[in-house]
Formats: sequence, structure tokens, C-alpha cells
Amino acid sequence: MNIVVCVKQVPDTATERKLRSDDKTLDRDAADGVVNELDEYAVEEALRLKEAHGGEVTVLTMGPDKASETIRKALAMGADKAVHLVDDALHGSDALGTSYALAQTLKKIGFDLVVLGSESTDARTGVLAAMLAERLGVPQLTFANKVEVNGTSIAIQRVTDYGYDKVEAVLPAVVSVVEKINEPRYPSFKGIMAAKKKPVEKLGVADAEIDVAQVGLAGSWSEVADFAAAPPRAAGTVVKDEGDGGVKAADFLASKKFV
Amino acid sequence: MVKFILDAEQRLFGETLHKLLAGTGTPEVIRAWAGGAPDRGLALWRSLADAGVFALAVPESAGGAGPLPVELVTAFHELGRHAVPGPLAETVAAAELLARLRGGPGAGETRDGDSGDGDSGDGDSGDGLAAAWLPRIAEGTAVVSLALPPAVPYALDADAADLVLAVDGDGLRVAAPGTARGSLDPSRRLFPVGAGPAEAHTAEAGEVLASGPAVRAAASAAFGLGALACAAQLVGLGRRLLEATVEYAGARRQFGQPIGAFQAVKHQLADVLVDLEYARPLVHGAALAYGSPDFARDVSAAKAAASEAAYAAARTALQVHGAIGYTDEYDLSLWIRKARALRSAWGSPAEHRARLIASLTGGRGSGGGP
Repeated sequence: MNIVVCVKQVPDTATERKLRSDDKTLDRDAADGVVNELDEYAVEEALRLKEAHGGEVTVLTMGPDKASETIRKALAMGADKAVHLVDDALHGSDALGTSYALAQTLKKIGFDLVVLGSESTDARTGVLAAMLAERLGVPQLTFANKVEVNGTSIAIQRVTDYGYDKVEAVLPAVVSVVEKINEPRYPSFKGIMAAKKKPVEKLGVADAEIDVAQVGLAGSWSEVADFAAAPPRAAGTVVKDEGDGGVKAADFLASKKFV
Repeated sequence: MVKFILDAEQRLFGETLHKLLAGTGTPEVIRAWAGGAPDRGLALWRSLADAGVFALAVPESAGGAGPLPVELVTAFHELGRHAVPGPLAETVAAAELLARLRGGPGAGETRDGDSGDGDSGDGDSGDGLAAAWLPRIAEGTAVVSLALPPAVPYALDADAADLVLAVDGDGLRVAAPGTARGSLDPSRRLFPVGAGPAEAHTAEAGEVLASGPAVRAAASAAFGLGALACAAQLVGLGRRLLEATVEYAGARRQFGQPIGAFQAVKHQLADVLVDLEYARPLVHGAALAYGSPDFARDVSAAKAAASEAAYAAARTALQVHGAIGYTDEYDLSLWIRKARALRSAWGSPAEHRARLIASLTGGRGSGGGP
């Protein structure tokens, strides 16, 4: 089975994240880049599927040169090879543009199964898996906390507010995973050293036959009009207990329609 | 001018261990280990082995990936940073000892010519021990403790070890440890092995398995690697103590401002940082000197500096934290006590300074093997 796992480099959630004042895109130099956390679960699931069914795992990332750190981490975990879609023309692409660029690349490199994290910690749109499946014309199986492959059929448990749905489809397909699905492995020293020798193919927009009018800031359908720093948290209401603290607390909750 | 910058792979390895250990929550493991329940500590040991830590000290031909001293100090820095319990430095030192007695790669060839093991009549026994235990050390199924008197008089945590070795002079024995003595660090138990100082003679000495100058040379090399690993642990411990103290000084307010805003507190913390930053390149420098005639000297410089830096970090942490630093339930105490214990483990700063002086003044004095 030819599994492609899409990973994204995002700014470390432990540090302050900023937008650039000039083009209102993410300031990637302001924070350390890390692997999007949910993507580590996607890599782990891809590796487990490979271990159970054979085949190979290819890491696909779109991002600037610096995103090669994220590729190295996924290869160290055990993926076999990587494709790095890197081109200045892609800078500022929104979810539609990104899904188009990745779909073009996936058509070129081929796949039986595409695995993604269900959302990124920076953009948090959570729509890429669905867009990608639509563009590729294959089934989407999203928010999976369990994946089973049997021959050419695939079944997942799709997490919902009320429990889970069982969703089945035929390969090729796109799957997005949630963090309950597994426990990502830590790369071993051997894995880290082996990753140095694994092939990483760099593709530009021309290589992937991407129409530059559909990507980048100019080609995006959504636009950041303005942004502002989050306001500091307002001081809370202090209820002083003078024998009637319970009543005051209840009144407060009632005023906020909690009770 | 030499810059000791780790490469991308070494940094990723260190970060991975940091995440693994942070995810494990070592304070719980340390308290259980101190309480005589080593299960979680041994499970962590196997995770560390899976990550490749112990294989770094085992030659490739014996199932390891080593010897890789730079990666080893990278790993031990993280082990110290998370105050991981167990005979960690002892196990990698034992791997070095066994690897050299086996006469394989990493033995005589990279050293100066004093490893004449041709005259060791019991070489086969050391060889057999190495063949049996080195692959197990690499894969994490063997926890090994080691005594190298006089500098390492007791076998650490021998009760949790699968193999306890002792080298006395030029004889190697599998030791039957006696009754444990307490340490300043409750997560360390020290076992006499029937050799070394008089008070340690409560245990029966085991049969001598190998003897001769080869054993003496191997023990000297093992002491070097163990002291280096301990020095890296100390820098990691000191770094964590400083981080915790800086955080506390920023959060704890007195006289209307964070205590870290007071110049006297700032100076103390800056002094600790300077000490640690001076010790770290010495540790990395010693790792790079592995296999050269300067290794023992550089290790002594590194261990002396790392011991003092980590101890200064511990004392400053205690001072700045005030009474909370003394509290057993507060995790800081686990780091403070380990810093004090490791300061004198694998040779005290005074012993290492004496070794350093002896090597600089022509090898006279206490510059010999352990």
C-alpha cells in the first residue's frame, strides 16, 4: 500500500505566535517551527498501517525551506521517503489554494491512502482533508479515532459529539485522524541517523504542474483584512461570602445563562 | 577557537529524549525508585534503550551503535535534566569496561599502547562476560552496576541491577553486594562490594574472572566514560535547577515586585548560568577527546567544573526558593539532592582537580587509574 502522510510545520504553540504586518501572513521567524501535533498521530497511524499491510510511507509537506526540519522528524519516526513542495509562489496560500497544490502533487506522486492530522494548530481550519478528497475525487474519512484496512476497503470510526460513526469506503481514499487514535512513537537514535540517508524530493510549482493563479496570496479566495492582538483577560468578578456566597454565585451563573 | 555546536541529528536526539522524559513525568518515577519500587524506573530504562541511549556505549560489533561519546553526553544531559534514577553512568561505564576486555573495536587500537592483554591469563572470562552482557546492555534488558574503588567505592542501586561488577586493582569480579547504605539522594542506594575502603568489606568478594594490566587499563577507560556521563548529567541537572529557579523568581512576589527583579537575586542566577556555560563546553570537549591521550585529563576538567556548577545551581535554587525548596513534596528537592550526590560520585571535584594537576605536571601523584 502506497501511503502518503501530509505534515505541516507550525509555530510552537508554547511560544507567542505573530502575523506579519506587511502581508498579514504568519511570521515564521518569530517562533520555532515544530511538527503540527496532530500530524505526528497521522505519521504514527501511517507507520502502523504499513507495518500491518506492507507498502511504503511517503511524507508530503508544503512549506518554506525551513520545513525540512519537519520532514526529518517524520523520516526519523520511520517514514521511507519524502516530497517537499517548496516554492515562493505558494507563500500565503489559503486552505483552498493549499488543497489544490497538494492535490496536484498527490496526482503526480500517486497514492492508495492519504493520511492527515484533522487540523493544524496555527490555521485551525480543519477543512483540508475534505477539500483534498474533493479535488482528488476520492472518498473522505475524517476525524478518525480508529482505522482498519482490509484489502482495498477501508473502515474508520469517525468521532462525533455523541459517540462515533462507522464510515467505510474503497481505496484510494483520504483519512484525517484525531489525537485519540494512537500514541506517536519517539524517534530512536537509529531512526534519526537512518533518516539522513532517506530520499527527499524537492518539487516546485512547475514540477507539480500547479497553476500559480490558484495559489499564493493573490490566488487565495480568503483574505486577512485586519488583525489585532487578543485583548488582555478582564478581571473576574469576586464574590465575597458574607453568608450568602452560594446565592451570589448562583445568581452570577444564572445571569450568564449557565443555570 | 573550537565551537561545540551539535549537529541537527544530535539536537533532534536530545529533543526527543527531553520529550520522552517530560511525557513520562520523572518525579513519580524517582519517588517510586527511592521507595524500593523500581518497576516504573525499569520500564523507563527500556524506553531509553529503545530510543538508543545505552547502545551509544556498546560497540557496533556487539549489537550497539557506539562508541559515540558526543551523542552519549547529549543523552546524559537530558537524563540529568529530568533527574532519571538508576545506575546510568555505571551501565555505560560497564559497557566500556566489557568492550575493552573483549578486545574488539574501541579497545586497544584507538588507545595508547598500554592495553597489552596478551599476558592476561583469564582473558577468556572477560571475553565471555562481554559477549553475554554487551548486547543486553544495548537493548536495555540489562541494568549493570559497577564499583571501581577507590574513586567509585560502592555499586549504585545494585538491588535493581542484573549484573554487578567490581574491579579492584587489576582483578575483575562479579560482585555479590552487601547491605545498602543510604545516600544524600534517597533515590540512590550504595552497596558495598567487598573491596575498597574498610567499611565496605561487609560483602563477600566474588571470584576473580579476569586480571592483569588489561583489566587495569579497561577500568581506567571505564572510569573516564562513567565520569564523563556523570558530568553531562550534572550540567543537565544544573540547567533544570536554573530554569525552575528563574521561573520561580519571576512568579514569586515580595515587596510589590517579583523577587527576580531584585539585583542580588539576578546576580546569583547569572552566576549560575555562567558556571553552567563554562562547564558545558568542557563536557563536550572531553567527549571529543575520547580515544586520545588527553581523554582522562579532559574528563577530569569537565567533571570538576560540572560538579561545581550543578552544586552552585542547587544551592542558589534552594536560596531563591526559600523554605519551599526544603519541602520533600516539592519536586525541586529531587534535583537538589541529586546534584549534591552526583557532585562527589565518580570522583569529587577535589579528586578530579588532583588528577588534572597530576596530568599537567607529568603524571606524578594521583593521576593513575581508579
